[in-house]
Amino acid sequence: MVERLSFYLERNSPLHRLNPTTKLVVAFTLILVAFLGRGLFLPSLIFLLILAPLSFLGQVGREFLRTTLNLLLPLFAFLFVMQSLFYPGGKTVLFGFWIFAVKLEGVRFAFLTATRVLVMVSSFLLLLLTTHPGVLLLDLTQRGLPASVAYILASTLQIIPQMQAKAATILDAQRSRGLDTSGSLGRRIRALLPLVGPLVFGSLVDVEERAIAIEARGFRSSRPKTSLVEIEDRPLERALRWLCLLAFILALGSHLWP
Amino acid sequence: MAVIVIKNLTYTYPTMDHPALREVSLEVEAGEFVAIIGPNGAGKSTLCYTLAGFVPHFFKGELQGDVYVAGQDIRHVRLEDWVLKVGLVFQNPFNQISGAKFTVYEEIAFGLENIGVPREEMKRRVEEVMALTGIADLADRSPYALSGGQQQRVALASILVMQPEVLVLDEPTSQLDPIGSREVFQVIRQLAHQGVTIVMAEHKVEWIAQYADRVIALAEGEIIASGQPAEVLTDPRLPEYGIGISRYTAVARQAAEEGLWPPHQRLPVTLEEAAAGFRAIEETDYARLR
Repeated sequence: MVERLSFYLERNSPLHRLNPTTKLVVAFTLILVAFLGRGLFLPSLIFLLILAPLSFLGQVGREFLRTTLNLLLPLFAFLFVMQSLFYPGGKTVLFGFWIFAVKLEGVRFAFLTATRVLVMVSSFLLLLLTTHPGVLLLDLTQRGLPASVAYILASTLQIIPQMQAKAATILDAQRSRGLDTSGSLGRRIRALLPLVGPLVFGSLVDVEERAIAIEARGFRSSRPKTSLVEIEDRPLERALRWLCLLAFILALGSHLWP
Repeated sequence: MAVIVIKNLTYTYPTMDHPALREVSLEVEAGEFVAIIGPNGAGKSTLCYTLAGFVPHFFKGELQGDVYVAGQDIRHVRLEDWVLKVGLVFQNPFNQISGAKFTVYEEIAFGLENIGVPREEMKRRVEEVMALTGIADLADRSPYALSGGQQQRVALASILVMQPEVLVLDEPTSQLDPIGSREVFQVIRQLAHQGVTIVMAEHKVEWIAQYADRVIALAEGEIIASGQPAEVLTDPRLPEYGIGISRYTAVARQAAEEGLWPPHQRLPVTLEEAAAGFRAIEETDYARLR
């Protein structure tokens, strides 16, 4: 059972070497600026001039663009069709066909929304592509995130493939004893019901054992914790994070300015 | 000096009517390797959990009698720190993977991070224990992408690395093939020689016969036999209680009924003993024929 647990791609790039918190702060700042800042082209410029070049600096450019497009193209298509045709208050008709009319206001709104979503999704994607989830959580723990919260996040990442494997096993076991999982939709849904019991109760039993296991490894030990991995944090990065705060304040200011 | 002293221990789980352990009394010396055998539901796991402090601190329930480990009353220890003294490895290797770590190396280091071991010492201990348990080549793999047997070794290594005084193992070889089981028994034997006290619940009587210092047989929460492996494992009552016996004992018992086992010689538990017994009877047969 080898499953890919995260988006992370191992590379030796300056972006990978950056402190995870710095990347997290930059990602949040870019998103906030894209949503708060003024200007129709601001979010698209953030993507083209900052995020896309960064992804190539991080040596994950191809994966970055492909995954972004795969995730967002269907949404964008839907957004443009709906908004350009049905945006309330649209007056400037660009062109019309049959009973429909494409309006400029709708297209502008769709473009702004789409590029904002693009910045949001792609900056997180870039963070995840270049940051190992374990390192990110470790860094956050060292900055005061409770160890139990970090544990919940890390184990959730790992538990999904496990649950899928378990569900497949239970389903196979039931099929091999004659459960019919094909046919009409209603029938398929009914066939899923017997899966729920074993999956949920089995998982609850697992939780108890898992609790014993991490207790046995001193998880709640009263001694101060140490960590195997050392995470770098250079003064330059600290400066960059302050810069991000400044950018956020500026964007907020421009948003609130009448 | 006895590291583990149990006197008249009776314990009932919160939701159960009947006690899981009844009037259990037991002493284990430092560096002794004690194996516990018994059918499913005999109380083996409960005894393991008690030594590790999970009974009564995790499972609650009612505990009567006395349990002292390393001079401390188990009822008055803090579970979160007790785990440094008594290490627990249990049956299902899958659920012993912490889930917090992404490689085997980090997984084994997890316990040391929690108890605040400095980084350099941590690396040294992790590498040592991976070599000892034969998993050095798995260091960079995901702990979830391993076979059951490999996971079981990782689980064992993750506890060994914490260097507990007492090591409690609840069927640690359930997922291992014969070669893997022997390696685990050898590692554990070696630890016992180094002074670690071992209590292991296990079904594989052939290995117990070879490696354990003492065997305790449990049935329905009570100790029904205790003593040298050769003595306990050939106890004629074991099958009545649903406890498996060594195939060598089984064969020799059948042979004895047919008069093919040297009279007055104890039944064998290992291949060597069985071979010696059959050789002896063969020689006397030849002697008679001549």
